[in-house]
Amino acid sequence: MNPRLRAALIAAALVTITFQLVTFYVSGWPGPPPAPLFVVSTTVVLAAYLGTGIIAWQRHPADKIGLLFTLTGYAWFLPHLLSLHYALAFTIANGTAFVYQGCLGHLGLAWPYGKLRGRADRIVVAVNYAWNIANPIVANLFWNPRVTGCSAACPANLLLIDDSPRLYQDAGQIATLLSFPVTAAVIALIVVHWRRSRGYARRAMNALIWVSIPVAGYITILNIADVVDLSRYNVLIYQAGPLLLAAPPVAYLASAMTARRARGAVSSALVSMEPGPHPAKLRDALARALGDPTLQLAARTAGAASFTDTDGATVDLASLPAGRMVTPLDTPGEAVLVHDAELRHEPELIRVAAAAASLALEHARLQAEIQVQLDQVRASRARIVEAGDAERRRLERDLHDGAQQRLVTLSLAIGIARDRAAAAEGADPDLKALLESASKEARAAIAELRELARGIHPAVLTQTGLEGAIQALVERSPVTTQVRAVPAGRFPAQVEATAYFVVSEALANVAKHAQASAAVVTVREQAGRLEVEVSDDGAGGAQAGSGSGLAGLADRVASLGGSLTVHSPPGGGTRLQAVIPCP
Amino acid sequence: MRTWPTALVVDDHEGFRAFARLILESAGFTVTEAATGAEAASAAAATSPQLVLLDIQLPDTDGFEVARRLTAAHGLHGQHGQPGPVIVLTSTREASDYGGRIAASPAAGFLPKDQLSGRALRGYLEGEDLNGETP
Repeated sequence: MNPRLRAALIAAALVTITFQLVTFYVSGWPGPPPAPLFVVSTTVVLAAYLGTGIIAWQRHPADKIGLLFTLTGYAWFLPHLLSLHYALAFTIANGTAFVYQGCLGHLGLAWPYGKLRGRADRIVVAVNYAWNIANPIVANLFWNPRVTGCSAACPANLLLIDDSPRLYQDAGQIATLLSFPVTAAVIALIVVHWRRSRGYARRAMNALIWVSIPVAGYITILNIADVVDLSRYNVLIYQAGPLLLAAPPVAYLASAMTARRARGAVSSALVSMEPGPHPAKLRDALARALGDPTLQLAARTAGAASFTDTDGATVDLASLPAGRMVTPLDTPGEAVLVHDAELRHEPELIRVAAAAASLALEHARLQAEIQVQLDQVRASRARIVEAGDAERRRLERDLHDGAQQRLVTLSLAIGIARDRAAAAEGADPDLKALLESASKEARAAIAELRELARGIHPAVLTQTGLEGAIQALVERSPVTTQVRAVPAGRFPAQVEATAYFVVSEALANVAKHAQASAAVVTVREQAGRLEVEVSDDGAGGAQAGSGSGLAGLADRVASLGGSLTVHSPPGGGTRLQAVIPCP
Repeated sequence: MRTWPTALVVDDHEGFRAFARLILESAGFTVTEAATGAEAASAAAATSPQLVLLDIQLPDTDGFEVARRLTAAHGLHGQHGQPGPVIVLTSTREASDYGGRIAASPAAGFLPKDQLSGRALRGYLEGEDLNGETP
């Protein structure tokens, strides 16, 4: 809003309010000044409309609502020129007594953005204006204040053409009777607007319905008071009653504050959601925060022709129903908010919502990306372990097929040479001894290489699976070890190797550190998992810290998505448990 | 009637076969050789050996499979009630590396390659377990 316009409006409002207050007390009318309640209520209403007019104008410069409030305020001011004891002011005040009612009808039908919705609105607003402008003018043509109502103290009515009291009375009654259908038409259209409103506008229309009740009620009572003697209630009707007219500006300000709170609600609704919310939940949170239950969050994948909302319905942006509006989101994928068009009057709110939604979607996208990367890393870790195992298997086989094979042949050759030297007559005794020790060395080399190969990868595991391999481990273990259970079937090579290394490492630890007298090995297949447990009756106090064989083992188990736990209270033995998923 | 016992050495490693032949011949065997499982089948059919020294790792199959086939072939083409060949499995690995597979095979026993000796093999022919390696 133009600052000069705003300054002018504020100045005009202050001058008008001050002027009205002053004229109540410096009026020139004989007798005491008006009742304090009357002064307060009329001034409150005037200030409420002029003030709200400025605020609304400021908030929505493009809308007419601010102008309507302002005009209603000045229309309310005109009849109070009555306080000035001059014929012209007196006549203007009486001739414009109901203009504000025309403005109120306009305000109600143009609620909440100052725009009339159709032909019926325009007709009713025009009739309402015409009626409320013409009615007092016509009435004043036949009203001589010095004959009816007022004593000689009243200034002259400049509009007077015929002061027959009979004419005045008839005109007044006809006017009152005609007022009811006009007011009823306004109310009826307001109800129609309210029932048709959906989405964001519904909230503002709900407020209007509540506001219309006191305003229409008050105006009706004023009309009735013209024909029925309600002078007993003068204080209530004319002094306190005007306060009811402050309801529209109050309601408007309240909904403006709600809109401001909604901006905060959008952010807090999204902040309070779990990270990377599901789009349907994001939609619900936005719909609640914006007060638009019809809100749709629609997206399309790159290259797709149509958008799909969170309920899976296709959204054709090219042919949206009337009253719908699209706000694109700033995301790499294509996503839009489709919402009640009334929200265009709250561009700031939409901007905040769109930014928040973009952020949430971006978050969700990043999270999905990280999940994909995590899955890839997990898969590659498993593949690395698998490749390592395959390499160890190959190494073990190559050792036996290559070096070991040659060593065996060599050993046999030495053995034959030794036997022949032993059998030959007159052979060198040193040669015999030499061949004997060479044969021993060769056998020792074979035994060492065999142990080395077995450490690289146990052939028995490849050959027979877990049962035989664990049996072989247990037989070599220096601590008395019982195998409580091992499934006889075969499992994926990775699972078998991991279970084997768990038992192997555990038994090695039992022998090295546990000071145990007995150990128990249990392997069970349960619900798609292999549960491996090795326990001993030793000293306990084992730690799965870094550097120990257990840490490497835990990594290996984790590479298959399993877990390794160590229970080892000091003095309470050690229980090593591995759970290995087994597809 | 044969006077010399016959033996078939099945191993893809030529050097080992040569020394095995030396050892077996000095123990009085008449020796034929085969390098693969397929060769072993035809050689066994041709010479009907009394003893087969069978490496577990073969290029085309494994010793357990060859042992099964040799035993089955003998049963099908039964030779006047004569017993089938005595099969002795061998490997650079130890018996424990094969778990229960050796016991489950039709082989009479297992001899690690580095412990190959005429005495041990003759023992198998005579139905004696001299080596202690048979399960």
